[in-house]
Order: sequence, then structure tokens, then C-alpha cells
Amino acid sequence: MSKRKILMSLATMCMLSTAAMAQGPKAGGVVNAVIQPEPPSLMIGLVQNGPTQMVAGNIYEGLLRYSPKLDPLPGLAESWSVSEDGKVYTFKLLKGVTWHDGKPFTSADVLFSIEFLKQTHARARGNLVQLDKVEAPDESTVVFTLKQPFGPFIGIFEVGSLPMIPKHIYEGTDFKTNPANNTPVGTGPFMFKEWQKGSFIRLVKNPNYHVKGKPNIDEIYWHVIPDAAARSVAYETGKVDVLPGGSVENFDVPRLSKLKNTCVTGAGWEFFSPHSWLWLNNRSGPTANKKFRQALMFAIDRNMAKDVVWNGLGKVATGPSGSSIKYYTSAVPKYDYDPAKAKALLKEAGYNGEKVRMLPLPYGETWQRWAEMVRQNLQDVGINVEMIATDVPGWNQKVSEWDYDIAFTYLYQYGDPALGVGRNYVSSQIAKGSPFNNVEGYSNPEIDRLFADGAVAFPDSAREEIYAKAQKILVEDVPVAWMLELQFPTITRCSVKNLITTGIGVNDGFRDAWIEK
Amino acid sequence: MKQASRVLLRNPGGMIGIAILVIAVAVALFGPLLFPTSPWRMVQRPFLPPFTLSGFPLGTDALGRDVMAGIIYGARVSLLVGLISTLASLAVGIPLGATAGYFGGKVDDALMRFTEFFQTVPSFALAIVLVAIMQPSIVSIVAAIAIVSWPPVARLVRGEVLSLRTREYVQAAVVTGQTNWWIIWREILPNALSPVIVLASLMVATAILLESSLSFLGLGDPNLMSWGYMVGAGRTVIRQAWWITVFPGIAILVSVLALNLIGEGLNDALNPRLAKGGR
Amino acid sequence: MISFIAQRIAKAIIVLLALVVLNFFLIRMAPGDPAVVMAGEAGAGDQLFIAQLREKFGLDQPLPVQLFLYVKGILSLDLGFSFRQQMPVSKLILDRLPATLLLTGTAFAISLAFGILFGALAARFAGTWADTAITIAALIFYATPLFWVALMAILLFSVTMDWLPSFGYETVGAGYTGLPHVLDVAAHLILPATTIGLFFMATYARMTRASMLEVNRLDFVKTARAKGLSDTVIQRRHVLRNALLPVVTLAGLQAGTLVGGAVLTETVFAWPGIGRLMYEALLQRDYNLLLGVFVVCSAMVLAFNLITDLVYRSVDPRIEFAS
Repeated sequence: MSKRKILMSLATMCMLSTAAMAQGPKAGGVVNAVIQPEPPSLMIGLVQNGPTQMVAGNIYEGLLRYSPKLDPLPGLAESWSVSEDGKVYTFKLLKGVTWHDGKPFTSADVLFSIEFLKQTHARARGNLVQLDKVEAPDESTVVFTLKQPFGPFIGIFEVGSLPMIPKHIYEGTDFKTNPANNTPVGTGPFMFKEWQKGSFIRLVKNPNYHVKGKPNIDEIYWHVIPDAAARSVAYETGKVDVLPGGSVENFDVPRLSKLKNTCVTGAGWEFFSPHSWLWLNNRSGPTANKKFRQALMFAIDRNMAKDVVWNGLGKVATGPSGSSIKYYTSAVPKYDYDPAKAKALLKEAGYNGEKVRMLPLPYGETWQRWAEMVRQNLQDVGINVEMIATDVPGWNQKVSEWDYDIAFTYLYQYGDPALGVGRNYVSSQIAKGSPFNNVEGYSNPEIDRLFADGAVAFPDSAREEIYAKAQKILVEDVPVAWMLELQFPTITRCSVKNLITTGIGVNDGFRDAWIEK
Repeated sequence: MKQASRVLLRNPGGMIGIAILVIAVAVALFGPLLFPTSPWRMVQRPFLPPFTLSGFPLGTDALGRDVMAGIIYGARVSLLVGLISTLASLAVGIPLGATAGYFGGKVDDALMRFTEFFQTVPSFALAIVLVAIMQPSIVSIVAAIAIVSWPPVARLVRGEVLSLRTREYVQAAVVTGQTNWWIIWREILPNALSPVIVLASLMVATAILLESSLSFLGLGDPNLMSWGYMVGAGRTVIRQAWWITVFPGIAILVSVLALNLIGEGLNDALNPRLAKGGR
Repeated sequence: MISFIAQRIAKAIIVLLALVVLNFFLIRMAPGDPAVVMAGEAGAGDQLFIAQLREKFGLDQPLPVQLFLYVKGILSLDLGFSFRQQMPVSKLILDRLPATLLLTGTAFAISLAFGILFGALAARFAGTWADTAITIAALIFYATPLFWVALMAILLFSVTMDWLPSFGYETVGAGYTGLPHVLDVAAHLILPATTIGLFFMATYARMTRASMLEVNRLDFVKTARAKGLSDTVIQRRHVLRNALLPVVTLAGLQAGTLVGGAVLTETVFAWPGIGRLMYEALLQRDYNLLLGVFVVCSAMVLAFNLITDLVYRSVDPRIEFAS
């Protein structure tokens, strides 16, 4: 080959490899994110607050991860199988995984975690109610045997729902006061390094992470900035690169999206699928009347709320299930914005101007504006609304003690109606003291039966039929007034790539993220 | 008194203050007649900039509500909150201070310990806790402001009464057998009032600022449109809609400034030596 | 003298204890408790969960028992345990106290320095338009809501001009030590301290002005003038020093409030101080932490009141010593 040709091919090879390098993940870099509010603790087995899950989801791991479509992906389990009758789940664990302190991760840890979480984790307790026994035939195999087939079972292994806890640190100790709670030890891509309360949390790369080549990022700083406007400024001045969903007020999102090198996405919440509605006190007051509740649904302009308060993000909810939740159906009665119909229904219900107490969610300006908007909608059809102000604990108290007529809320749905939807409509979940169960006091034996059957029906098609029926009945009865399927946009620098790849987004997304220089 | 008011009228700062306050009160009383639509109603598109559409000189907010209407109705709320909480503080502080100053001894000691007790907790912190306990409403805000504001009144009145107690006309009243309460009410308090009036004007100003701070932190009454509430509501959109925070902020600034100027003017008028300067 | 101090300290301790008891009950009157808050943040909870939390937080014991345990702890200087944050309250407070003291101390110095300066100037030109102008300028800073000034300051100096950082105590992750660290913290300190400082300047300006005018009328000043001393010398050597006495007294009394006074500023600037800690503790119904902050703030106020009183009495011989 002539010299020129050799040089040319060398040059071409250099160019091609550079191009290849430019496309592949780069190692190194520090990411600055915000966390709001500051989590009370990072020990995800004991504390399940949103912020805790967001940070600690990168420290701990679950047996499975979930794609944006909520299909299970390998986590600490590399493969799994379900028996024909749907009662036995066998997981094969990854080999050679170590905890951050070097000790090996084995099936004994899985067994211990189940026992630990049954004592400390309310949601896990609920999810494991069909569990008959769990066994570990060898170091890397775990077998769950259920009392009855439970369709949602494959969906409960997310890191926040069922995190793996190190047995060698917690066995035989008082979990709540174990000093190790201040230095969380997991198997995840990032290790806990430092926490200056009130300022920041620092995570560093796990050099012995079981996925070779990951994580790409060296360090994550989670900054604590209590004021929403200040968080926006921090992003604008380049001090912060990632604003997870809910960090800034919605009104600021359009402006921030237009900044240089800024990418916005609504993805990463598919697993939680936040669903907002108004609790309507089914027990007392005007809201105890079904016609009144239906009138409310017609009186509220949800499309305008979506456009004005939520900047066009999200979807109008059609019923108790979000559209990304399994077995969602839109074949239900419709409640379009229709003030005339609302007025007519109010008359039928015999409403005569009694005062109706409305409780907004004390989570910031967006919710306050939304409450004001709904108040106007209701006043326009002749309902006498009084807005009650509370702070967060006051809100929790009032709702848990059923001291309200209408109360804003939003809850997570966790992918499956048996995991996140049923709890708000079945009679067994009527109990004072919690703002997450059947707070409205709706009691319908048929719904109870449908949800009970739906959880354990087998196969999937049977569940679909049952839930379709349940949704139709609920939408007809309007135990609560469903508002919007919420979207919490995550704002990042475009140079932070591949951050949101799973159904829980930022919570475990730093594993696969990388920074383009 | 006549001489005092003459001095006050010559004081430029005080005059400006009075003029502004008169305007503010006029707006509070008559504004709603000219702007009958409730400030809560969504009347235009959101984030309308000021001076772009006739009829909406100050623009609209995040929900398309008229900022001008908000300022007008807010005048009522802010001024009322300031006035009522100050009156409540005076109602507690004056009797307490007068009793302590007049009777002295153990009564004074006990009352002053009680006052000091209230002054040791940082006042804003205590106000926040009180509002949190009673949960935010106009009543709880006024009560909280009143509760943290009365100690200086008591101290001031006590000091004045202490010094006035030894005056001759008071001694004369004692000798002629007047009852203690009559003496306090008719002889002492009227003469002790001048510094109290000065203090009161400053307290109204502080109350307005306190209310706006509480609203900023999210502890305001959601049924009443006050200036503090508007600033708090607009602060998250301050970058794209500066007018939502700036105009109510100016309203607060101007009212508080006016009250302070009046206070200064009153102080100079009622303490004539100081007004003339040192030469 | 000693017995006077001892008496005052004893009285202060009684006041402090009374405050503890009062606040202990006051805080619990707010609706909700820390267990409900934690459950709320977890997005899920059942009876068992909340019961466990209540037990962990020591809430299941009868109220008098809780009070007794708490007071016992206070007497041995133990401020209790924050169950929510899983750390002793004293550690949480001590971690944040220096930041607050730095912030409010600097703000205090700024307000005192500029207040005295402007007050003296206003007294010098008393009765003229300059006097009114200075007074109004100082008052404008006093009349503007603190949080609004803070936001405007951030907009101007951080976002538009990018001269100063907008949040935090220092640049996180930069690992500065020594002089660069001091400069870094100083850069973060300027905006919040100046915001507060300008606000309180008016009080000192007003007081200095009034005091200086008062002193200027006194006989010894007339004597000095008759002797032919220049005006500047008179103001500086004779008038100012005497006029400052009430200002310093006021400053001493206000110094006690340094610890608790910065909630708003700390929130907007994300300054990791006590004010913010207290506000968050309130919202989380973290009773022990909230009470602990109150105790510390009140103790500081009482201490400074006593110190100021002593200084005042020793400096001004006209004041009687015996109470």
C-alpha cells in the first residue's frame, strides 16, 4: 500500500474511533442534583419517604428493575421463572455481588430482608400478604411460594418497595437504633460518602459494582435548597445539573426548558404513576350524596387546570386507574366539563347552599393555585366553598381523622391495581389514622369482592375482566373526584445522558447515566 | 397637643407619610366600590404583562387574576391586620405596663418577669409556632402578631408611668384621696401616651411586614387576598412575571414607609427639643 | 455585685425552665405529630407503621412522663434526641449554630456600622432635607419585605451579573481549605448578611440620630464649643461617645436575638442555619428539636440581656445598682 493510502486509512480509522468514542458512554464526572425536602434518613428499609427513595435508590438495589413499560428487568436477580399455577416464583441471583463493605451478597440476605421489611415497611407488608413461605435452596437461588396466585407479585421487587438489606449488619440488632442507619450499606452503583445536614449528601462510585463498566459517573452531590425559586436559580447559574421531578414549580418549567443545553422529560414516573384526585367525604356533609359528587365531576374544568396550573403536562384522569397501569380501561362513564349539568345534578341532590370545606394540599404554589381554580369552578355552579389552610402535619391530621369535606391529594399506583388502586376503595381499608387508605369511607361489597378476586385471579385475562367491571362501577359512584394523571418533568443538562431509563427514573437511573464532555 | 400638631404639619417626612396613608385608607374603603369583581376571579389570560391591555393596568397573575384588584382588596386586609393586631397588643400592653409602673415592688417584678418571658423567645419563631398551632387563618395571624408584639408596649408604658408617678399633680391626686385606678386613668396615662402613639404607628408597620412574611412562608389565610399573600404567590414566577411580586411589594413598602414617617413625625412633634436640631 | 449576678442567673434559669414547660405543651397543641408526618412522606402507612413510629418517638407515653424526662434531660444539659433525624438534638444544633452566628453576626455588624454612620450624618444635618432624605432611605430598607429584597438581590447579583453565588454556605465539592475557603464562604455570605443588615440599619440610625441630638444640647458640649474646639472634634470626641450609650444598649439587647432571627433569609439563600432548622422542625413536628432550638435561643437572649445590663450599669454611674 502506498504511504498516502496508509496515512489515509490511519486517518480514517482515527476519525472513526473518535466518532465511536463520541457516541459511547464516557467515564468520569460529577453530577449536582437537588433533593427536596431533605430526607430524614437514607436507610431505605426503615424510611420510605420520596426523597429517601430518590437518593437511596442508587445506594441499595432490589431483585428486579422495571422498564418504562413496567416489564421486569434483571436487578440483583439475573433470571426468574414462574410456575404454571402462578404460585411459585424462583429467582436466580447474580453471583459475585458484594455489599459496599466487601461482604458477599447471598440468598440469606434476601430471606433476611423479607423478615426485616415485614416489620418495618408498610407497603411491603401489604405486598407480601399472599406470601406463604420463602426459601433459599442455595446461595444464589430464592423461591417464593404463595398461598394463591397473585398477579402483581412480579411487580413488587422495585428497590423502594423491597430493598435488599444486609443481614450481617442488621441481624440480631434493634433495627431502628442500629448506628449503621447513618452510613447506609447497599449493593448499588453508588456508595454513601458524606452527609452535611442542611447542605448536601454526597455519593461516590462503587468501584466493585457488579455491572462491569458501570457506573460511569464518579460522584453525585444532592444539594438541599429549601426554596423553589432558589433551586431554579441554582440550575440557571450552572451550580446544579439535574432537577428531578417536582423540584421546581410548574410555572417555571417552560422558562427553564428554553435555556441552553437543557433537556426536559416527563418520563421516569411510570412505576409510580402519580394520580391526583379530591377525597370526598362519603360519610357526612353534602358530599355523602352521590348526585352531589357527580355534580362536582361535571363542575370542575380539568382541562383548564392541566393547561394553566400544570403547563399542559399530564392527562385528564378518567377513573381510579392511571392510563399506564395494568388493565386500565377507558370504557367508563365520562365526566366532561359541563356546568349546566352540574347545576342540574345539584338541584336533584337537594343541595341548599351548605358550606363545603376544601383542603388544598400544602405542597407549594402549584397546588394552591389549583385549589383556587377549583374553588372558582365550584362557586360558579353555586357551591359555597370555604378554603381551609393547613401545614403538612395539619393536613395529614385532618385527612386521617376524616375532618374535611373535599381534600386534594395525589397517590402513587405502583403499576398494578392490586398494589396501588384497591386500597382506596375497599371497605377493609377504612381506618382512621392514615391518609392513604379508604379515606373517603366508600363501602361497596361488590367492589370489595371484585378487588379481592382481581388480586388472585389467574390468568391475566381473568384479571382484566374483573378490573374493567370495577372501574365502571367506581366511575359511576364517584367515591372520589379524579382529576389528573400528573407528570413531574425532570430537567437536566443535555450533557447528562441516559439518566432516565427505567420506570422509576432518577431513583435508580444514575447507574446507567454518563456525562458528555 | 395643638402645638404638637403644628410641628407635625411642618415636618416634611410626616406630611408625606400622612398623605400616603390617607390614600391607602381611601383605596381600602372605596376601591372595592370601583372594582366590584372579586380579586379571586380569573378574568383574563394568565401572565398578562402590565400596561398592555386597558382595564388591566397592572397585568394578571398565574391564574389570570387582576393584579390591580388584588392590590385594592389587599389594602383592606393588610391595613386591617395591621390595625387590629396593634390594637390588641395595646389592649394587653398598656394595662400591664401601667399596673407594673404604678404599683412597683412585687407587682412590678412579677409582671416584668412575665413580660421578659415573652421576650426571650424570638418573636418571629413564636409567631410561626402560634400560627401553626391554630392553623393559618386571619384570626390566628392577628392573634399571633398581637401576642408577640405586646411586650415592648408594656415596657414603654411602665417606664413612662414610673417617671410620671413622682410628678406633683399625681402626688396631689393621691393626697386628695383619688383611687389608684382613677389616677392612672385620668392623670398618668394621657401624659404617657405620646411615646405609645409613636410606637403604635411603628407597630402597625411591623404587623403588615409580619403578615407578609407569614404568607411568604405559606402560613397565610387562603380566603383573603392580602399583599403578603400576593408576593408569596408570585415569588415562584418572579422571573417571567415580575409584576405579580413587584406591585404588591411596592404597596407594602409604601404603606410601611408612610407609617414609619408618621411615627418619626409624631416623635419629633411630641418631643420638640429634638426636632429643632442641636444648634 | 456577685450576689446581683447570682440572683439574675437564678432568675434566668427559672424563666428558662418555665419557658421549656410552656413550649413543651404549646408545640404539642399543633395538629398532627411526627409519626403522621413521616407516614405522610412515605406515601403509604398502616396502623402498625404509625404505632411503631409513635413508640420510636416516645409519643406513646403519658404527657407528664414525657415532660418529666425532658426537663430532667435539660437539667443535665441534654437536649434530647431527634427521632426523625436519628441524632441528638444538641449535635444538630451545634452543627448549624456557627453558620447562623456567622450570618447574623456579620449582618449585625453591618447594621450597626451603617446605622451609626447614617444616624450621625442625619443628626449633623438635622432639620434639613438631607436629614429627611437619609431617614427615608434607611426606612425604605426597613419597609421592604426581607424576602423580596433577598430575591431581588439574587436576581441582580447572581443571575444577571453572576458576581456572587446564590445559595449555600460554600461551594460544595471544591474542597477549599485555608484562605480560599475563607474567601469562598465570604462570597456566599455577602448577599444574605447585607440583606438582613440593611433591614435593621434603620433602627440604629434612628436611635443614633435621636441620641446625638439629645447629647448635642447638653452643657458640656456648649462648653466645648465656647472653648473654640472644631465641630468635627466635638462630634467625634464628645458627642458620639456619649450618644452611643443607648445605641449600644439596644444593640446588646438585640444581640440576644441573633440566633433566632434569620428564618426567612436562611430559607431563601439555603443557608444551613438554626432558623431554617427550627422552621423545618416545626413543619415536621419534631418536638425535641424544636424545643431544643427554643431553649438555645432563649438562653442566648437571657445571657445577652444580663451582659448588657452589667455593661450598662458599670459604664453609666448614674444608674443605681441595687434593684
